[in-house]
Amino acid sequence: MDFTGILAGILQGFRVTALVTFYGMLWAVPFALCFGVLQYLARGPARAAVTTVIEFWRSSPVLILLFMLYYTLPSFGISLSGMTVGAMALGLNIGGYGSQAVRAALQALDRGQVEAGLALGLRRFDVLIAIELPQALVAMLPTFVNQFIQLVKGTAVVSLITLTDMTFRAKEIAELTYNPVGIYTALLVSYLMVCYPATLLGRWLESRVGIAHRGSREI
Amino acid sequence: MKFDPDFALSVIPLILSGLGATLWAAVVASICAAALGFVLEMLRRSNRVLGYVLRFVIDVIRSTPVLVQLYFIYFVLPVTGLTLPAMTSGIIGLSIYYSGYLAEVFKGGIDSVDTGQFEAGKALGLNRFDLMWYVIAPQMLRNVAAPMGNYFISALKATPYLAVISVPEMLGLALEVGSNSFRYAEPVVVVGVIFLILAVAIGQLVRVLEARLLAPFKK
Repeated sequence: MDFTGILAGILQGFRVTALVTFYGMLWAVPFALCFGVLQYLARGPARAAVTTVIEFWRSSPVLILLFMLYYTLPSFGISLSGMTVGAMALGLNIGGYGSQAVRAALQALDRGQVEAGLALGLRRFDVLIAIELPQALVAMLPTFVNQFIQLVKGTAVVSLITLTDMTFRAKEIAELTYNPVGIYTALLVSYLMVCYPATLLGRWLESRVGIAHRGSREI
Repeated sequence: MKFDPDFALSVIPLILSGLGATLWAAVVASICAAALGFVLEMLRRSNRVLGYVLRFVIDVIRSTPVLVQLYFIYFVLPVTGLTLPAMTSGIIGLSIYYSGYLAEVFKGGIDSVDTGQFEAGKALGLNRFDLMWYVIAPQMLRNVAAPMGNYFISALKATPYLAVISVPEMLGLALEVGSNSFRYAEPVVVVGVIFLILAVAIGQLVRVLEARLLAPFKK
């Protein structure tokens, strides 16, 4: 099989890669926003509880989260599809990182913004929605793009729970033809085509927004 | 099949026997990644053409999944006649993956040093190496310590990926228990708990080390 043939074969898995990414975002974005804001606002035991939930999803290796959900939930009588499990494990893991970016961006805002809002008679919730979040979300745009890339790259693990994504297709082709150089180069190129534009966009946004969120961009 | 706590407890010793391999891979990969990342960033700054080439290389490393990079190294190197033990391939893979991120960290660190320092060094007649090593690097350390620590933790959390190229680290052993006993839920949860404890403990350790190391630099 020639290189273009291999590449075409791998790209048949693009739909699954894209779907897992999309469903993953559906978990990640709400989780990041809710828990980031909660961690920012909560005090005392409530904050400790929120932090524990975030740390669970963020500190566990994503591959282990995936296997835990995939193998363990059925033994508690919950059976979910591979797609749901993959999206959930990846999404909540990335969402955990995202929540830290949301909290960091909120904390980085000048205190005067909140005080001015409250002094004008706005309720705390309105200050959050109308004043703090819009500024924080702009500041965390580069982080958001970087975490999106992490999510896309992370979807490669769903090949291990037999979803037919790009990595799974490559492994399949590798069983039929002996051409590791061609197959794995093509697989690298496939991910590069998806993620490289996002990497460039992320760097451009970073230079525009110019706020480094140290500690939230790891993975 | 119901979750069996007794079985879970019984597999702990076997899984813990892979702890050494997990930690070894994480530590060696972290050190190599930091060294390689620093070299990449230094070379990238050394001349214009090489700069563009390495910029692209770093972006390729950052835009492709670590799982795919591991497959690439594990399956492609033998074709070139170089057959390495799985652990060595794994460490090389993780080192290359994280070197891309650490190069970015060093880039930010160097850029954050005041331009006056570069000018003063040049004015004193230091050559490029001495300027970087004696003047810039020590000042950079303060800014790169936190993100470097984060990536080291992240490398630890990436070690389960080595299971897919048959390195007998903790997840690898757990999956082996699974395939022998047809019970995956318990061993996978055990690995998850061990990793959670590890990640939290090492996270604390890194923060303490950071505070200690950086104490003399704090204004």
